Amino acid sequence: MTPATLNSTGVQLLDSLEAAGLTGRGGAAFPSAVKLRALTRRRTGVIVNACDGELGAVKDGWVVANHRDDLLRGATIVGRLARGQVSFAAHRGSATEERLRRAGVDTLDVPGRYVSSEESSLINFAEGGLARPMTKRPLYIQGGRDSTGRRIPPTVVLNAETVWRIAQIAEHGPEWFRRYGTAAEPGPRLASVGGYVGRPVVIETQAGVPIGDLLAAAHTRSDAEYVLINGLGGAFAPIVAITSSPWSREGLARFDARLGPGIIEVLDPRRCPLDIVGDLLSYASGESAGQCGPCMFGVPELSALWQQFVRSPSARHRRALEVNLGLLPGRGGCKFPDGVAGVARSALAVFSDHIAEHAAGRCRYAARRSS
Amino acid sequence: MSSGMRAEEIVPLQIDRMACTGHGVCAQILPRNLTLDAHGYPILLDALVDPDDGDTAIRMCPARALYWKGS
Ligand code: SF4
Ligand code: SF4
Repeated sequence: MTPATLNSTGVQLLDSLEAAGLTGRGGAAFPSAVKLRALTRRRTGVIVNACDGELGAVKDGWVVANHRDDLLRGATIVGRLARGQVSFAAHRGSATEERLRRAGVDTLDVPGRYVSSEESSLINFAEGGLARPMTKRPLYIQGGRDSTGRRIPPTVVLNAETVWRIAQIAEHGPEWFRRYGTAAEPGPRLASVGGYVGRPVVIETQAGVPIGDLLAAAHTRSDAEYVLINGLGGAFAPIVAITSSPWSREGLARFDARLGPGIIEVLDPRRCPLDIVGDLLSYASGESAGQCGPCMFGVPELSALWQQFVRSPSARHRRALEVNLGLLPGRGGCKFPDGVAGVARSALAVFSDHIAEHAAGRCRYAARRSS
Repeated sequence: MSSGMRAEEIVPLQIDRMACTGHGVCAQILPRNLTLDAHGYPILLDALVDPDDGDTAIRMCPARALYWKGS
C-alpha cells in the first residue's frame, strides 16, 4: 500500500531499494525497503546510527570520514520520505562526532557504552531519556509508550552504511547495486578487519569473497589462529577452517556467524583464547544496562561461571555454565544477553581442545608465556 | 472483545523485562506456563496462556510487567 503523501520520486526510490535488495548494515539485515515503506505512513523522526557500537566496529566512522556528502544526501532522501527531523548519533568525544558536528548536522552524542547505541537506546536518548534500551512493547517506528508510560514519537533508526547505500542506489540504480555480492546478499558492503594484524582496515567488498582475502587485506599475521566475527553479538572461528569459506550466510553458518556488521577481529595467538573469552565476558558484565533481572544477574554470573569452568573444567562446572547459558536468551529487554550467550557457546565449541588441555591441568599458553 | 474470541486468536503473553521486578506473582497464578529462576525472575515456558488466567496475572502483577502481545 502506498500512501497518498508519497510523491513519484518517493515511490520510485522505494521500488529501487526493493529491487536492489538492500538490507540494514548495522547487523540485523532487515530489508530496508520494508522499513522505509512503514515510515511513510506517518511523520517519523530519523536517527542515522554512526556509533560503531559493536566491539571492533569502525565502519560507520569510516563512512562519515570518507563519504560524508553521500551520507548526508542519503539522510536527506530518507528525511524527505519520513517527513521528520533527521539526526546523527555518534559516541561522545569520538572523531566521528566531531566530524558530524563540523558538517553542521544535528548530532546526538551518545555515551560510549555497549548497549547505548542499540536502536531503542538511541530513541530513548533522542527523547531526553538515558541511552538505555526500552522494551519493544510498541514498535517505535509507529510510536507508542515505553515501560514507564512516556510517549515516544514515531522514530526510525538506520545504520550509517545503510544510509550511504540508499544514496548510491538512488544515484546508480538497483542493477548497479546487484552487480556486487550474491543473489541472497547483494550489493557492495564494508568489512572491518582488525586485532592481530599488520594493518587494520575497512574494506570495500561484497558478500561471497573468500574470508582469507579479507584477512590478507589487513596483513593478518601468519601465526594468528582464531578470529572473533562480529564482537559480543558474534562467534569465534579457527582461521584454518574459515579462510577458504566465502564471507556469506552459507560460508559463516557453520560457525553460527553471520555477515552482521561486518567485523573480523583477529585474536592475539600469544594469549590463551579461554582468557580472551574471560575478558570479553567480564567486560560484558559491566555493560549490562542493569534494567532487566535476567541480564543484570545472568551476565555477571556467566562471567564468574566461565572463570570457574576454565580454571577447572569439570562436568559439574560445565553443567552450571550450560544452565546459565540456557537461561540468558530471550529474557532481556534487548538482545544483549542473547548475543553474549552466543559468544560463550561458540567459545565452548571452537576452543574445545584448549578446554581439554585445561582439564588435563595444562595450558600451552602458560608455557609460551614463561618461555 | 470476549475471552472466547481471544482464545481463538492465540495471543501470547509477554513480559516487559525492564518493568519486571521479580515478585513472582505470575508464577503462582500461571504455574503451568511460568516458573522462576534462582533470582526470582520468570522463565516463560509456554506463552500461550489461558486467557482468563492471563488476564488475572496481568491484573495482579505489581510491576504491570505482563501484557498480551500487541497490546
Ligand atoms: S537485557 Fe540487559 S542490556 Fe538489555 S535492556 Fe535489559 S538490562 Fe539492559
Ligand atoms: S508478577 Fe510481574 S513483576 Fe513479578 S515476576 Fe511476574 S512479571 Fe515480574
